[in-house]
Amino acid sequence: MTWRRTTAIARKELLHVRRDPRSLLIALLLPIMQMLLLGYGATLDAKHLAVYAFDRDGSQTSQALLERFRASAYFDLVRTVDRYADLAAAVDAGRARLALVVPPDFSRRLRAGGTTTVQAIIDATDDNTANLATAYAEAVVDRFSEDLQLDWLRREGLPDRAAAPPISVEVRTWYNEDLESRNFIVPGVVALVMALVGALLSSLTIAREWERGTMEQLVSTPVTAREIMLGKLLPYFAIGLVDAALCVGVGIGWFGVPFRGTVGTLVVATALYLVVVLGIGFAISVAIPNQLGASSIAILVTLLPTNMLSGFAFPIDQMPAPIRAVSYVVWARYYLTILKAVFLKGSGLGTLAGPLGAMALYAAIVGTVATRAFRKTLD
Amino acid sequence: MTDAAVVVEELVKRFGTFTAVDRVSFEVRRGEVLGFLGPNGAGKSTIIRILCGLLRPTSGRVQVAGLDVTREPEAVRARIGYVSQRFSLYDDLTALENLRLFAGLYGVPRGARADRIRWAVETAGLAGRETALVGTLAGGWKQRLALGCAVLHRPPILFLDEPTSGVDPLSRRQFWELIHHLAAGGVTVFVSTHYLDEAEYCNRLALIDRGRLVALGTPAELRSTALGGTLLRVECAPLGAALAVLERTPDVLEAAVFGDALHVRVPDAAAALYTLPRALAAGGLRCTGIEPIAPTLEDVFVYLVGTAP
Amino acid sequence: MVGRIVPLVVKELLQLRRDRYALVRLVVLVLVQLFMFGYAATFEVHRVATAVLDRDQSQESRELLSRFTASGRFEVTAVAGDVRELTRLVDTGQATVAVQIHPGFAARLRKGDTAPVQVIVDSTNSNTALVALGYVSRIVDAFAEDYATDRVARSAPARLRRIPRVVLAPRPWYNPSLESRWYFVPGVIGSLMLVITVNLTAFAVVREREIGTLEQIMVTPIRPVEFVLGKTLPSFLIGLGEMVLITLVGTLWFRVPFRGDPVVLLLGSSLFLTSTLGMGLLISTLCRTQQQAFASSFFVLMPAFVLSGFSFPIASMPPVLQWITYAIPLRYFLVVLRSTFLKGVGLRVLWPEMLAMAAIGVTMVAVSALRFRKSLE
Repeated sequence: MTWRRTTAIARKELLHVRRDPRSLLIALLLPIMQMLLLGYGATLDAKHLAVYAFDRDGSQTSQALLERFRASAYFDLVRTVDRYADLAAAVDAGRARLALVVPPDFSRRLRAGGTTTVQAIIDATDDNTANLATAYAEAVVDRFSEDLQLDWLRREGLPDRAAAPPISVEVRTWYNEDLESRNFIVPGVVALVMALVGALLSSLTIAREWERGTMEQLVSTPVTAREIMLGKLLPYFAIGLVDAALCVGVGIGWFGVPFRGTVGTLVVATALYLVVVLGIGFAISVAIPNQLGASSIAILVTLLPTNMLSGFAFPIDQMPAPIRAVSYVVWARYYLTILKAVFLKGSGLGTLAGPLGAMALYAAIVGTVATRAFRKTLD
Repeated sequence: MTDAAVVVEELVKRFGTFTAVDRVSFEVRRGEVLGFLGPNGAGKSTIIRILCGLLRPTSGRVQVAGLDVTREPEAVRARIGYVSQRFSLYDDLTALENLRLFAGLYGVPRGARADRIRWAVETAGLAGRETALVGTLAGGWKQRLALGCAVLHRPPILFLDEPTSGVDPLSRRQFWELIHHLAAGGVTVFVSTHYLDEAEYCNRLALIDRGRLVALGTPAELRSTALGGTLLRVECAPLGAALAVLERTPDVLEAAVFGDALHVRVPDAAAALYTLPRALAAGGLRCTGIEPIAPTLEDVFVYLVGTAP
Repeated sequence: MVGRIVPLVVKELLQLRRDRYALVRLVVLVLVQLFMFGYAATFEVHRVATAVLDRDQSQESRELLSRFTASGRFEVTAVAGDVRELTRLVDTGQATVAVQIHPGFAARLRKGDTAPVQVIVDSTNSNTALVALGYVSRIVDAFAEDYATDRVARSAPARLRRIPRVVLAPRPWYNPSLESRWYFVPGVIGSLMLVITVNLTAFAVVREREIGTLEQIMVTPIRPVEFVLGKTLPSFLIGLGEMVLITLVGTLWFRVPFRGDPVVLLLGSSLFLTSTLGMGLLISTLCRTQQQAFASSFFVLMPAFVLSGFSFPIASMPPVLQWITYAIPLRYFLVVLRSTFLKGVGLRVLWPEMLAMAAIGVTMVAVSALRFRKSLE
């Protein structure tokens, strides 16, 4: 194998890309677009939840409670209704996420002393938002309750600390201090975009040759299968690295995602990931000349696992055991571990030796398989 | 006028700044086989596609089967058949399935469908192989099948765009027998071709070069086009050297290699019979034969167009 | 007109039957994705790897820590010996939550002072962190309340028993056990229908253009609108088929409830499909080759997918993006799907979504049909 032949093919490939505006579009515009789109759109945080209230008490106290909801950043107290049916209809129609029902004896019971309950109907269609909404609503009510108790204690002449909860929780959040879902989703988007770009570009390159019949031309020269493969994929590898840099740049510069690790680790991991992604895209398009079929298989094998089983949006440790086992086979999982660790934890090569090793292994396997598959089709 | 199946008047087609068809006018008479000749990129396919209603002309009048193509394209399409240069039937369907599809699309009456499909199968020579996937058939059969699909609805006019390119000579001949058979039945056939031997089969020929109509007439008429001079056939080996010598010889209007001899055009045949051998001898070559010949279509072509078709 | 559409539809179906990868694309891929979303897609938090450090070693501290395990949501995987070990466990990712009880915990409780409990949370995944923290506070609150009740009962003045308190009683509707699956499976119907039908339509037309058969068809008396119908009708039928397939698997295998009216679902699906088919057609008018069609459909489908509210709630997106989602048909169809499956509401509630989909659908089809006509010349 000579490098001269490989670089000749690489140069040709680069010319193709430069002259084909759509390839360029995919290569440069797509990553940025996806980063912006997902960076802004991919958020699991619950904000501005629409709240309807049915205040059957109508006292100053109940109003004060509703005011707390109004003032909260998580809730938008949209409307108050005077009939339960209206409340139910609002939840049914999706106009309200949370519907509060204040009982008619709310303030009376509080004056008399004791516990009174406020019902919160929650649209649990979206279970995640429902969980978060419940937690936030409970927090609002708890604060209100505490303030009520302090007032009461002062009026009764009892010490303040009698109201204090026996136990307080000191929370330390590590790595993602501001608890923004964006901070862990955006690094994952890098992996997703790489997978997308890699799959698209590498499948394009082979299909193009077969289409134009130039593949046969290439094969009739003394060039070897490995040289063709390397030559074809090298430019896309370079483009992939540029894309990764773009994505990371957008993530840090635009979205303010913290970056606490070393660039070197990121580069090594990204390089390995690209090898795997490009190799697989290449192998698929070589094995399956039918374009629609190849693209479906590509999605099945690359994008879907990256989306679902890599820890991108769904936490792997919460999945059922058999699925968790499958995720060990998904290469994107290791890349995502590394990404999140590099961005948020500041981990270095040492701690990440495990995932890096796994990726290196993958890269080696994919490289061999792809070359062999390619050789077969040329014979 | 009523006898004209196709009327083209001052047809112009521009793609941006590029003029593909430059004020072409001609008529095709009913029942005739008109051949369209021209080098690559001359505009033949463009003209055919305009006639079929697949492209809109930039200006000019086009009438097919008595109907204006730009105003009533669908009515026109019901009266024509078309076989394109690139084979365009479905590779992943069988011959029968393709035929049934086009029978339906052309609105062939139900009662007649079975018969016409059977006819198409037989004419294409595919009897016994109707259920094979078209993708598995060789080129010649595919084209005959395409022709069959194009005439299921018995159109009075047929447009064929280089239907035999890439097809073996035997299949080409069979294809042309089909065309003649159809023409004998009164179908007007408009065919563009690359092959000059096929051109001889046509009633009339139209020569197109760079979007312009360069010549129009029967093969015989074209062959007797004043070429400006007489054509001589000169045998002298090696041809390459002989060509070089003759090109430098004064009084030689044109010289070209034609098979195993040279065709040389001269103003005065009588004089040339002496001067040419002497010029060759001066170049160290021996002329083994020299005689005046009647020009072939290819000669006419080269003269008019400047290149081989 | 029908006479020309029928042979086209027949042709499409014949070709589909012969396409070796059709089965993969239309069935295998669908089922795999469905199973992935049914099993892997979860925002539920039910096994949090927890490490504990009890530096008080009192009855109270042990009681509190045991409540964590008893909740069924926290899995105490390690008991640390000192603070350094505790932090190391979080650092290396072996524990997501670390609970530390300081020495003197029980003493402070008995004195009536507030006793602090330290909780370290690996908030890399902020979503699970937030939910986990919610559970932590619930556990701690419950313990505190039980303790306080005891204390008040034993020692405090009678007056304190009358201290007021407000408590929130959550009533989750439609999905009382808060299963992520119930949220995703109906959604999968919409997203898969979108991807499959857009690709099918776009590729179908572009392929004809690419191999040249489009010309052969166009030279027949067929009208552009008939051709469009002939091409989109099979995709429409396939789209409905996918809907039925996923609904069946979703309800029978995953036991997602279906509380609404099947007719409403059918209507919503049909309206949704007109917009996806229109989109596919539009893409086909812009592309010459299948490669381009593939890339273009990605450009269109990715944002449509992300912004539709499929996994990320629209209400949490910045206003600009929220405005854009009004133009995405999947947004409305997801509402129809989730409402029909989980809420059991009908047209009286869903008519705005139906109207929106109809409007978008008609516009898409009209625009693309016009463009298609032009592209033929």
